[in-house]
Amino acid sequence: MKLPLSWLKEYVDVNVDIDTLCKKMVDIGWEIEEVVYLGEKVTNVKVCQIVGIAQHPNAERLLCCKVDIGDEIIPIVTNDHHVKVGDKVPVALHNANLANGLHITKGKMRGEESWGMFCGAEELGINADMYPNADVDGVLVLQNSATVGEDIRKEVGIDDYILDVAVTANRQDCNSVLGLAREVAVALGTTYREPAIDYVEESVATTDLVKVEVLATDICKGYFMQGVTDVKIEKSPLWLTSRLAKVGLRGINSLVDITNYVLYEIGQPMHAFDYKDISEKQILVRRATDGEKIIPLDGKEYDLNSNDLVIADKERAVGLAGIMGGANSGIKDDTTCVLLESATFARMNVRRTARRLVLRSDSSARFEKGIETYTNNLGLSRALHLIQQLGCGKITRGRISVGEVAQNRTIKFDKKRIASLLGIKIPDEQIISILNSLNIRTSVDNNSVNCIVPPYRDDISRDCDIIEELIRVYGYDNIKGTLMPKSRITTGGKTEADKLRDKIKNVLVGLRYNECIFYPFAGKALFEKASSVAVNEGQYIRVKNPIGEELSLMNISLTPNMLQCVGLNLSRNNRDLRLFEIGKVYLADKLPLESLPIEQNRLSICATDVSFDDFRRDVLQVVRSITDANIKLNRSSSATLHPGISANIFLEGLDVGSFGKIHPQVASNFDIDVDCWFAELNLDALFTLTRKEIKYRPFAKFPSVSRDFAFLCDEDVAAQDVLDEFLNLPLVESADLFDVYRGEKLGAGKKSLAITVVFRDRNRTLQDSDIEKQSGKALRVLKEKYNLVLREQ
Amino acid sequence: MDKIEQIKSVFHDELAACSTIAAVQELKVKYLGKTGELTGLLKSIKDLSAEERPSFGAKVNELRNLMEAVLAEKLDELKVAELQRRLQEERIDVSLTATKPWGALHPVTLIQNEITELMVAMGFEVLSGPEIETDYYNFQALNIPEDHPARDMQDTFYITDSILLRTQTSAMQARLMEKKKPPIKVICPGKVFRSDSDASHSPVFHQIEGLVVDKNITLCDLKGTLEYIAARMFGENTKVRFRPSFFPFTEPSVEVDVTCSNCGGKGCSLCKGTGWIELLGAGMVNPCVLENCGIDSKKYNGFAFGIGMDRFAMIKYGIPDIRLLFENDQRFLKQFGK
Repeated sequence: MKLPLSWLKEYVDVNVDIDTLCKKMVDIGWEIEEVVYLGEKVTNVKVCQIVGIAQHPNAERLLCCKVDIGDEIIPIVTNDHHVKVGDKVPVALHNANLANGLHITKGKMRGEESWGMFCGAEELGINADMYPNADVDGVLVLQNSATVGEDIRKEVGIDDYILDVAVTANRQDCNSVLGLAREVAVALGTTYREPAIDYVEESVATTDLVKVEVLATDICKGYFMQGVTDVKIEKSPLWLTSRLAKVGLRGINSLVDITNYVLYEIGQPMHAFDYKDISEKQILVRRATDGEKIIPLDGKEYDLNSNDLVIADKERAVGLAGIMGGANSGIKDDTTCVLLESATFARMNVRRTARRLVLRSDSSARFEKGIETYTNNLGLSRALHLIQQLGCGKITRGRISVGEVAQNRTIKFDKKRIASLLGIKIPDEQIISILNSLNIRTSVDNNSVNCIVPPYRDDISRDCDIIEELIRVYGYDNIKGTLMPKSRITTGGKTEADKLRDKIKNVLVGLRYNECIFYPFAGKALFEKASSVAVNEGQYIRVKNPIGEELSLMNISLTPNMLQCVGLNLSRNNRDLRLFEIGKVYLADKLPLESLPIEQNRLSICATDVSFDDFRRDVLQVVRSITDANIKLNRSSSATLHPGISANIFLEGLDVGSFGKIHPQVASNFDIDVDCWFAELNLDALFTLTRKEIKYRPFAKFPSVSRDFAFLCDEDVAAQDVLDEFLNLPLVESADLFDVYRGEKLGAGKKSLAITVVFRDRNRTLQDSDIEKQSGKALRVLKEKYNLVLREQ
Repeated sequence: MDKIEQIKSVFHDELAACSTIAAVQELKVKYLGKTGELTGLLKSIKDLSAEERPSFGAKVNELRNLMEAVLAEKLDELKVAELQRRLQEERIDVSLTATKPWGALHPVTLIQNEITELMVAMGFEVLSGPEIETDYYNFQALNIPEDHPARDMQDTFYITDSILLRTQTSAMQARLMEKKKPPIKVICPGKVFRSDSDASHSPVFHQIEGLVVDKNITLCDLKGTLEYIAARMFGENTKVRFRPSFFPFTEPSVEVDVTCSNCGGKGCSLCKGTGWIELLGAGMVNPCVLENCGIDSKKYNGFAFGIGMDRFAMIKYGIPDIRLLFENDQRFLKQFGK
C-alpha cells in the first residue's frame, strides 16, 4: 500500500521525523517495504524571480537574465524567450541535480556568465496533475504566491515521502490512507481525524430514479447506491490530482478522480453508471448466464458463465461486479445523471472471475483483499461529499441499501486469559487505554474484559484476537523468555527410520561421499535423457501449475537429478566425484490422484573415481551398516545402467535396489566421458531388515586351517556361486576370491578362479582328513553344477 | 694357574675384537658353553692334588663371573649402538600435510542436525509428514478456508483440486494433534514448496515446524525456546526480537528477528544496516486450530514456529544465493565437510 505522508497527515498528526514514524509503525506490526522521498533527485533548485532580461551579445537565440534568489542577484543565460521580467521560475544553482539525472554547474555560455539553469516541469519530475501549467513546454512559470529563495520541492509539492506499507492479509481495512492513519495515531499516540462525509441531499429521491434488486445474495453481501443529477464533469482541482499522482494515478475527470480518490483514501472501490443507459430504471445484481457476453470499458468482449457476478439492467449486463464497468453504461461527455455504486462483492468470486478473464483493475485488486459493508457506506458518503465540494452535481435523496450494514460487535472474555496466553500481566489501565486507542471501546472489571469492536475490524472475532491487539501495542519487548516451567516432561527423540538415515549418511560421509539435495520434481526431457528406453509419462504425478515444464513431474527415481548433477560437475571440471542423496520418490497407485501417493525414501549414490569393485564394496557397506541379512546380487535390468556391469541387490529375497556402471547411451546423453557408477536403493525396504541385537559370542579356541583352490571354469560362472558352495559347508568359516586369471593357456571363454577357504571346528583341532572330506563334497557339486575343474597346484 | 691367566688374556683380546652382537654371543658360547674353554678348564681339576683343587676351582669361578659380567656389558654397549644406528637410518620426510578428507553433509542437513539435537535435548519428538498433502491439512485445518486472503500469501503448487505440494511444515500440526494428546512437543523437519524462484526464493526449501501443546504454555515460553535455539545456533549473545505479524493458524502471530551474527547488531550489509535478521514466523496456536483437532482450547495453549533451514544455513555460513544449495557443485558441497 502506497502511503503519501502528506495525505496521511490530513487524518493524523505526525509529530516525528520519517525514520521515527517508520520505526513506530514497525513496532506495532506495519512493515515498511520502502520509503521514497519524492524530491530525492532534485537538489539545490530554488524559486527565483527574474529582475532583468537582456539580449545575449554573442548569440541571437539566448537571453541574459538577472534573477533574484532571495539573498543575491545572479546571472542566468536561457534560450526560452517566453520568460518575462517579474516571472517566478525554478532555477537550478551550482551543483544542482535534476529529476532527469542532469547535473548543473556554473559556467559561461558564449562568453556570458550563467550561474545555473531555469527548469521545466519534467526536470523537476512533476506533471500537470501536480502543479498548474506543468504541461507547458519550456521553463515552468511558477504561481505568483511562490516564495523567492525557497527550495523548489516545497513549492511544487515533491517535499513529500511515499511509504510502501506491507499490509497483512487479515487487515484489509488498512489498504487505505484512512486505515493506516488510525494505526499511525496508535503508534504515535496522536489524534486521528475522521474524514468529512457530510453532504446535502436534493429533492429527487434515489428510489424514483432506480430500483435495485440483489439476486445473488451469497456473493453480494451488501449493495448501496445513490444518484447524482445535473452532473458537471470537469477537471479535478490540483490538491486532488496531486494526491492521485503520488500513488501513481493520472487525473481523468472530476467524477472518475473522486472514485479513485475514495478507493485510496477510504479503501472502497466504486463505480458510476450513466443513468440514461440503464433501461427500465432497474439494477439487478445477478449471476451471469452461461455464454453471456460483456464488453467492459477496456473494449474487449468476454464470455461469462454462472460463476461470474454481473450488474445488469432489465436487458443486459452493464458491469462486471467489482472488476470493471460495461462500455455500454460508462460516463461520457454528455452524461447528466449517474448512479454511484458501493458494494461488498465476495473476494473469492471477484478473484476467480478476474483471473479467469485475465482482466484486473485497481477495483478488483481491492475487492480480492476483502471489504465490508461499513466501509461501503463510508466510502459512498465520502464520494458524495467530494462531489458536492467539487460542484460535480446534485445528490439524490436517500440511499438504496441492500444487505445489512456491519455493526459494532461485543466480545467479553476472562481477564485471566491475558496472562495465561502471554505469560505476563498487563495493568488494567493499560488494557483500557491501548484498546480504546484502537477504537475498541473497553471496560475491565475484576474478572472480565468487555470490548466493543468497530465494524471495520472484521479480523477480530474472539479473545485471542483482542489479546494480540493488546500485546502488539503494549510491546513484545515486554515478553521475557521462559523455558516452559509449568509444562509436563516429555522424553522426545528421533524415529528409528531417522536414526538409520543418519547412520547411512555418516557411513557415506566416512567413505568420502558428499551429500546433495535436489528438487523432487523435474521434466520429461530429463527423465528421457536418463533412460535407455522410452519413458512413460503416465506413471508420473504431475503438478498442475508448475513453474515450467522442466519442473512439472514428481520424481519416481532419484537417478535423473544425480545424472544431471554429474554432467554439471564434469562440465565445470570437477572430475573426481562422490555424491549421494537421500530423498523421496512419489508413487501413485492411480492417476489422477484420488488419495495421497506413496512417498518412498530412497538413497542414490554416485562415484567417478573408483573401480567397480570399490563401488560395490561401498554400496554393500551401506547395506551392511543397516542389516546382516543375506545379500544376493543378480544381473540388473535397469534402463539406466549398463546391462553387463550392473546388479540388483536382493536381501533375503527382497529387491532393495541396483547399482552398476551407467548405460553408455545415458552417459553420452549427459556428456559423461568418465566411468561413472550409480546406485539407487529403496530405504523403506532396507529398513524392514534391520540388524539383530548385538550379543557377545566367545571366540573359538581351536585353530583354523586355510586351503587355497584354483579352478578352471567357463567365463560366465559367477564367483559368488563358487564361494557359496564352500560357505554352505558346516565347518567353513570364510571363503574369499583372491585371483582371477585369463590367458591363452586356458583357452577362449575360460578363466581361472583362485580362492582361499578357512575351515574351523569350534570343538576340536581339524585333521587333514576332515578337510578332505568337506572340500571333496564341495568339489563334486561344483563339478556337477558348473563344470569346474580343479587346477594342478 | 698360568693356564687361567692365559685364557683370560686371550678372552679379553677376542672380546675387544667383537663388533657385532652375534660375535659376542659366539664368544660367549666359546668360553662359557657346554664345551667351552672354561668347562674344559674345570674338567682338568681332577689332575690336581686335593690341596690345590679348592683354590683352582675358586679361580675358575672368579673368571667365569668376570667373563659373564664383561660379556653382558659388551652386549649392552652393542645393543645401544645398534639402536642408535637404526634410528639414524630409519628417517622419512614427514612434512606433507594434505589429507584425504571425509565427505560432507549438505549444509541444510547440518542445520537440521543442529536444531534437531537441541530440540531432542528439550524433550521434543522428531516426526515427518507427507510432502504431497491434502488441502485440508495444509490449509483448512490451519484456519485457512478456501476463500481466505492468506492463501494469496503462498503460491501453491497443486496436483489436483484437493491435493497439493505442502507449502509449509505447519501442515503437520493438525495431523499430530489429531493423533496425540497433550503434552505435545514435536518438531517436523522437511521439504516445502512454493511457486517462487530467485536469489532468495527457491520453489523447494526446508522448514522445521515446532509445536508445543500443553497446559500453561505461554508466549514467554515461545520466546524462551527461540532464544535458546538462537543462542546455540548463532552465539550466546544473540538477542531475539518479536514483531507483530499475521498467520491464520497462530494468534498472536510474530515475526522473529535475531541480532545480526555478522555485525553483532551494529548494522552491516547482511542485515541491511538494521542490526537484525528476520529469521522465522511463530505464534500461539490459534484456538480454532486446537478445536479443529479436538483439543480443548480452554484447557490447553500451544505455540508453533516455522524455521526456514535454508535461510538459517545461508546466514550461518554466509551463502549469498539460495540456488547454490540445490546446484550441488561438489566444490560447494565439500566446504561443509570435516
